Amino acid sequence: MKSFGREGAAGILLVLPPLLLLALLILYPAAEAVLGTLRVERAGHVIYSLDRYRDMLQTVSLRRSVGFTLMVTVISAGATFLLAYPLALYLRFTRGWVSSALMALFIVPLFIPVVIASFAMVTFLENHGYVETLLHYVGIEGLPPLMFNAVGIVLTEVWASIPFATLVLLAGLQAIDDSLIDSARDVGAGPLRTFVSVILPLNTVATIISLSFLFIGILGSFTIPYLVGGNAPQMMSVVMTNYFTNYLRPEISVALAAISFVIAALAGAAYVMGVARRETA
Amino acid sequence: MTRFRMTVGWTTLLAVVALVVSLTGQPARGQAPGVVLYISGDTNIQEMFEKQLLPMYEKDTGMKTKMVFLEHGQGAAGILAKIIAAKRANTTTDVDLYETQPTFIAQGAQDSIWTKLTKDNLTNIAKVDLQRPEVLVSAGFGIPYRGSSVVLAYNTKFVKEPPKTYDQLLEWIKKNPGKFTYCDPQTCGSGAAMLYTAIYKFVKAEDYSQLAFDASKETAWEPALQLLRSLKPAIYNNGFYPNGNVAVLQLLGRENIWMAPVWSDQGVSQRDQGLIPKTIQFTQITPAFTGGDSAMAIPAHAEHQAAGLQFLNWLLTTKPQTVVVNTLAGYPGIQWKFMPKDVRDKFAGIAGNFSPLPNARYQADAKRLWQEKVAGSAQ
Amino acid sequence: MTGGSVFWFLSVGAFRRGLAILFLVGLAVFILGPLLSLVLWAFAGQWFYPALLPQEFSLKWWTVVFGNRGVMESIKYSLMTAPTVTALSIIICLPAAYAFARFEFPGRRLLLLSFLSANSFPKIGLYISIATLFYRMNLMTTFWGVVLIQLVGTLLFMIWIPTGTFRGINRSLEEAARDVGASGLRTFLQITLPIAMPGLLVATLFAFLAAFDEAQGTLIVGSPNFITMPVMMYTLVLNYPQPVGAVFSILLTLPSLVLLLLAQRLLRQGYLAAGYAL
Repeated sequence: MKSFGREGAAGILLVLPPLLLLALLILYPAAEAVLGTLRVERAGHVIYSLDRYRDMLQTVSLRRSVGFTLMVTVISAGATFLLAYPLALYLRFTRGWVSSALMALFIVPLFIPVVIASFAMVTFLENHGYVETLLHYVGIEGLPPLMFNAVGIVLTEVWASIPFATLVLLAGLQAIDDSLIDSARDVGAGPLRTFVSVILPLNTVATIISLSFLFIGILGSFTIPYLVGGNAPQMMSVVMTNYFTNYLRPEISVALAAISFVIAALAGAAYVMGVARRETA
Repeated sequence: MTRFRMTVGWTTLLAVVALVVSLTGQPARGQAPGVVLYISGDTNIQEMFEKQLLPMYEKDTGMKTKMVFLEHGQGAAGILAKIIAAKRANTTTDVDLYETQPTFIAQGAQDSIWTKLTKDNLTNIAKVDLQRPEVLVSAGFGIPYRGSSVVLAYNTKFVKEPPKTYDQLLEWIKKNPGKFTYCDPQTCGSGAAMLYTAIYKFVKAEDYSQLAFDASKETAWEPALQLLRSLKPAIYNNGFYPNGNVAVLQLLGRENIWMAPVWSDQGVSQRDQGLIPKTIQFTQITPAFTGGDSAMAIPAHAEHQAAGLQFLNWLLTTKPQTVVVNTLAGYPGIQWKFMPKDVRDKFAGIAGNFSPLPNARYQADAKRLWQEKVAGSAQ
Repeated sequence: MTGGSVFWFLSVGAFRRGLAILFLVGLAVFILGPLLSLVLWAFAGQWFYPALLPQEFSLKWWTVVFGNRGVMESIKYSLMTAPTVTALSIIICLPAAYAFARFEFPGRRLLLLSFLSANSFPKIGLYISIATLFYRMNLMTTFWGVVLIQLVGTLLFMIWIPTGTFRGINRSLEEAARDVGASGLRTFLQITLPIAMPGLLVATLFAFLAAFDEAQGTLIVGSPNFITMPVMMYTLVLNYPQPVGAVFSILLTLPSLVLLLLAQRLLRQGYLAAGYAL
């Protein structure tokens, strides 16, 4: 059993600076803000209760917003994952010019600030935007709206999330030794069987990391839904901001933030449980 | 390894340079400004001050000016809080002049933070019509130096006869489905105008533009909200309300829609810049869309109170007022009879009257109810 | 054509290759299409539907952007804050990362995890609390206030990724140096650091991008006196004609693209994933 003596003290000392910053700017304000949402006035007294949350979830527009946010998040995360995995597989197991081109291509969105990505998507997908202009030229008209609705949000989120998901999955795949694939082939397993029985299980950690972080990131994203989303229903981050800056109701804004955080924390918990590594000595 | 070392070397060098630059490149002190203005509004207001009014003033009086610009009134509440905090702490505030919505000025009046403007400290106040909504709503502490209102923009290519009243407008919308929209009231004033004017069909504007607030009076808005909701299928893209004034102008420009409420100054300026075609014209309807969202107030404890008063007084003279009218295609703060004839003639059409805005708390609730009942799906 | 690869399990050659090329083209259209559209808008003097290209090309919007004092100031402020934030992040986080990687202390994993909260609690919910705190500390609308708020957003990257990197370095190398009498610091600087460098560079990259792109916190703390490029971008997108937003987008992307070229190879070496594997 390790004793935490000097090493423990030194460790704590070294991690103190960023930890204090975190506590000061995030943890304490968050705790204070959330406590505020639990304080309700009833019959002249101030008590702690979940009343505010109950009232909120009874408001149709807010309920819809939570459901909408979850739906968009799950679809975006799923779509990104389904796009990134084959891409990562191809990059892991193939060489050639196509591979190099893909390698250079998929990283690009990482370096485009989200606000620009959203704006670019708007000019691209809006009514009479670039896509519609191109299609008009080949005679195709009457495309359903791709912008300022859930479709627009999903497309833009996928666009922005591809680099991270692919990088993580690729790294996971790279850790799988070629010899393992070879042995599978040697015992006569086909490509699909190899994927399901060898690659997928060995790549679990990367899968969990990418899915949970995709989920957390998209759930909390503000810029994309704000610039690219429609009028109703809206993602929680936009609704939160409206309640704060437009409707002058900060308590609801904080309550929504708390709900959003709890959902993110669930994804975070899934991540921790899936990835908790045994310490190597 | 060498490649990495080179990358590290360059990166470190860049980082050090950037750090040094950043520490020395802090906002220079230089010559202290003689007067500091906090201006809210759209970008055309910012440019008008930066490129025309402030240089003009500096040339005329030799006084250095500084402007802090609040995009669309972002942080207006914060500035108000700052001024109040300074008053309570018995210090001066760096805000010498504050342009903002009249209702914010009224809110501040409760803390006695504003200078009472009279003909003794502001001679040109005589030129201003003190019965204007901006003055009344700001409890007498705000003076308008400009006026703009929301007007109806329409594309003459498709619309031969524009509607003249709000009811005619509603009829036109229903007869031409998909060719009209207004921007999300939470993001822009021209869309909010559509909302407030609908409300004013059923209630008296003056009941909501003063400081008093009574949430129960909002039930009177229900017919207006239902009216706007019923328009949904006839609105562009089955009920799409874009984000911001400019987005609506863009839709007009790309001929996605044929008619929309826009700010008079923004519309004219975009047409002049070729961003919307020359076929776009503007007209005012009855009852008029809202406007008059701006007035100037001077904190009583401003650091350069006298300079602020001097600037405001100058702003109310003919030369700067002509700049204002010409640049913004709106109307002046002073009465039309004090303006040169050619300017009067040029803008007679759109510079009619306008309805006042509801106070800030009503505005907040109106926007929320719009989002819930008009934008949101079936309640 | 495909030299040396474990390519066997996508066996039907020509068809699969065609599929791959199709995928490449599709992805290229998806990723590059919007960017191309943006670049065209930046040079569009006049562009009405349904023209495939602007009817008139022009540089006038560039003059508008460069002539706008607010815009130029935001560029200056961004270039002032982002490097400062990155430097500070390195200074306070790397020792912590080393501690997380090498030392055992109570609550280690929980503390490491807590840094995730900085990126998962919506900042708008913290507005009032942070604003109150900053008002009291006189940090509102100041350079250091903005630096602080941007710094918080970089902690996750600057701690997790280096922790993963340091963990991946074989302890025996450090112990060997220690055995011949080198001090802890010397070992760190001459043995650990050089090996960890690629991972640290990846972390620095992400931290810089996080600071440079940070908008929500900067809007809360900096506005209206201290506006950085991303915050300015919001304004431009919503309130200015489309070409202006397009021009500024190109300007805002330039630093990132430069980093992209420098970092291509680094990113593919798995440091990112190592950092997230706790």
